[in-house]
Amino acid sequence: MDILSFGQLVVSGAFMGLVYALIAYGFQLTYATSRTTNFGQGELVTASALVALSITHLGLPYGLMLPCGLGFGALAGLAMERTAVRIALQEKSEGWIMLTIIVGLFIHSTCENIWGQADRPFPTPIPSEAFQVLGIAITPLELSVALGALGVMGLIELFKRRTLLGKAVQAVAADPEAAGLMGISARRAVMLSYALSGMVAALAGILVAPITTVGPPMASGLVLKAFSVAVVAGLDSGFGAILVGMFLGGLENLTSFLVGSGWRETPGLALLILTLAVRPNGLFGRAAIRKV
Amino acid sequence: MRRFLFLRGAEALALALLAALPLAVHTPYALGLLTLLPIYGVLLIGLDVSVGYLGLINLGQVGFLGLGAYTAALLAIRLGWGLLASLAAASGAGLALGCLLALPALRLQGPPFALATLSFSALAATALNELEGLTGGARGLSFTHPACLGAALEPRAFFWLCLAVLALVWTAMRNLLAGHPGRAFEALRDSPIATDAMGVGSYRHKVAGFALGSALGSLAGGLYAFQFQHLQPQVFTHEFMAVLLLGVILGGRRSLWGALAGATVVVLLPNLLSVRPVFSVLAGAGLLASLVAGVRRLRRRTVDPFRALAPICATALLAAGALLARRTEDWRLAVFALILFAVVVGLPDGLMGFAARSLGGMLRVPPPPLPAPASLEQALPLRLPAPGAVLEVEELRRHFGGVKAVDGITFAIQDGAIHGLIGPNGSGKSTLVNVVSGLYPPSSGRVRLRGARANLPGLVAAARAGIARTFQNLELFGGLSVLDNVMVGLNSGFRQPLALTVAGLGEPGERRAQADALALLAFVGLEGQARERARDLPSGAQRFLELARALARRPSLLILDEPAAGLALPDVRRLIGMIRTIHQRGITVLLIEHHMDVVTELCHRVTVLDGGRLLAEGPPEAVKRDPRVLEAYLGLPGEPGNGEGTP
Repeated sequence: MDILSFGQLVVSGAFMGLVYALIAYGFQLTYATSRTTNFGQGELVTASALVALSITHLGLPYGLMLPCGLGFGALAGLAMERTAVRIALQEKSEGWIMLTIIVGLFIHSTCENIWGQADRPFPTPIPSEAFQVLGIAITPLELSVALGALGVMGLIELFKRRTLLGKAVQAVAADPEAAGLMGISARRAVMLSYALSGMVAALAGILVAPITTVGPPMASGLVLKAFSVAVVAGLDSGFGAILVGMFLGGLENLTSFLVGSGWRETPGLALLILTLAVRPNGLFGRAAIRKV
Repeated sequence: MRRFLFLRGAEALALALLAALPLAVHTPYALGLLTLLPIYGVLLIGLDVSVGYLGLINLGQVGFLGLGAYTAALLAIRLGWGLLASLAAASGAGLALGCLLALPALRLQGPPFALATLSFSALAATALNELEGLTGGARGLSFTHPACLGAALEPRAFFWLCLAVLALVWTAMRNLLAGHPGRAFEALRDSPIATDAMGVGSYRHKVAGFALGSALGSLAGGLYAFQFQHLQPQVFTHEFMAVLLLGVILGGRRSLWGALAGATVVVLLPNLLSVRPVFSVLAGAGLLASLVAGVRRLRRRTVDPFRALAPICATALLAAGALLARRTEDWRLAVFALILFAVVVGLPDGLMGFAARSLGGMLRVPPPPLPAPASLEQALPLRLPAPGAVLEVEELRRHFGGVKAVDGITFAIQDGAIHGLIGPNGSGKSTLVNVVSGLYPPSSGRVRLRGARANLPGLVAAARAGIARTFQNLELFGGLSVLDNVMVGLNSGFRQPLALTVAGLGEPGERRAQADALALLAFVGLEGQARERARDLPSGAQRFLELARALARRPSLLILDEPAAGLALPDVRRLIGMIRTIHQRGITVLLIEHHMDVVTELCHRVTVLDGGRLLAEGPPEAVKRDPRVLEAYLGLPGEPGNGEGTP
């Protein structure tokens, strides 16, 4: 394999990897405030993309569809929090987080029945004709994924650091009880983080759908890789998620080219188990101290 | 005896009924379903180990099922192994892979562990699909039954074989859970730290438990392969995993009967879904049950309204679906999800948990009587202190980032002494104790316990070397009985070899251990509450229970972290008496305490910390008059002679 096609595989993989990073960032948002992970995140991605697709079919322009899709994602995130997460937080027991898997299953089955099992194309006004940079083909579509992913992550980070509300969310992440004593409602902060996380999932779905097509089977593949990215990077490092996501995307493309497309998923999964063995808190994560 | 007959009788009756069923069943289809029941029973018992007893979310069981199935099938086809040998090899493979997965994955709790198991099952599915040369890939793998001990098995005989396997697994599991491993599983769910501090080792028990569950999954896989005689990787997917979780939760976690009930549901569910009238009736019955339960809960206000209403909504959706949906099979996953949701929220203990509670109310089966307590001399044998230090701490430092919690401390504890450790809040006492007992590794410096190597790595190693401790913020095993709390840590040599426990021969040792544990409970005045749950004791009694539990380790060094905190005055007097007795039995005591009078009365030597450094050391009377100590406590240059002051 010559260096150019190697570069091509890595670069287009890395663009795809930004989508994993974006979904992984959604996990990190909720993990920070509540130490919970939404196992139904993949279903939120698909459902939001499918809703956006239906809105497009209604004839709304892309510029209007985007906020509607994001709004649906936020609402779905809130619904997930109410039905599945809040009990887990009340019971202070991890087993209950299984409820998110259950709600995810329900969403999955509903999508299958409404939109069918097949993958569908997703129309977009962004052109997909490639242009060349140093001999490597890049499409504007891929650029839009990168811009959208990095942009929204940057905006949320700004919100967390620069606004009072964002600081309140971070206070809850650091210590929910102390934040509660200062008059910050931990429950609202968790709700906000789930709404943001759902919105991020919707954006990921809408960005990636024109490239991969959209349908119920899309969820499990995407979400497994995003999980890998989140754990390998560390559940508290957004910056790490970007790096690991791009790395994994490139690695995946290479594996699929060199070993066979059926093995595409394996590097992420193997990387995840390997990371747990070597650095349980992730490459960029911090270790927590056990207190008694 | 009555209890024994009742419980064993129910098991024998169920087994006999199941064994007799094939005589009444004539269609191969029905016999096929019946054979699946023990297979799924074994599978779900395995899954229940991690989901129920260890309290972990395990999404990997379906991967072990698939790997076990392919292992057994390939051994039979390629190498011509017999049925039993293939099954044994499949469970062995499951055990080994389970260990291999659990060793890294169990270093983390919660979501990351679930993700690792999910990745494992995805990896397993990929491997089965892609290794076409071996597994036949997506086309699948067809084969015929291998012989069992040289004889070909007809379907009915194969059913009895599966049932025999289930009976074996059931018995072994029941014995295991009744003995020490079962207690350890319960304990580590309540407090992993205390489990480690009792020398039991939560990590190794979790890994062993997970590997055991995986081995059972692979064993079930082997049976599954020989039942269907055709395998396809697409079967072992996410959806199948959801069905298995449904089985465990609906049946009831932490219950062998629950696993059996769950297996019945898993076997019957696809058939119930395809027959519309049956499904409608069941959905309606579910709606009715959840309505009755929900309204009752709402009126009694025992739970928040969401938990009363959510199961009603879920079952109402189910009933609406039964009426409106064109083909219920298309909505299979949604149906599973709705049932699971209603059960998890409305009936968290599952069918069997519910049944056990209502049956337990009706049929009061008395628990087996406890043995008479042993003497304290036997439970806590006399130790003869040797001259010299039992614990030496040298230039010990422990920093957290920039915070120097312990900053170069050197001191020694003489064997057989009661050594006090005092200091204002934030002076580094707790951190020092946590480093000595192995919870934190030191940043630098040495901790040496006599007879052990320096700087023991971790709580378990320190506990096994002879250090026992109590916790300032109580770390009891709340769900266990008072007696079992003491039995978890018991180090009196009555621990049965695992093989004996599994074979159900652990009873005599268990009785002697109970007698010892009761002696310790009598010592702290709790022998009357042996059967109560630790969570239900008042806080003073809980402190004494922690003391008894730590003594069960028969330690050479006992660390008491503020044992008098929150105790009423008479209890403080009793505590002082107990510590005296412990000292007379030859156990060295390190006492961290704020009650200055307790320290003065008991301690031979006192070490005073301030700001992570050693401030003073000496006999209590001298330390109390030390001007530096007075200044640290009161913030002003001390007036010698002010001995009454309780800092």
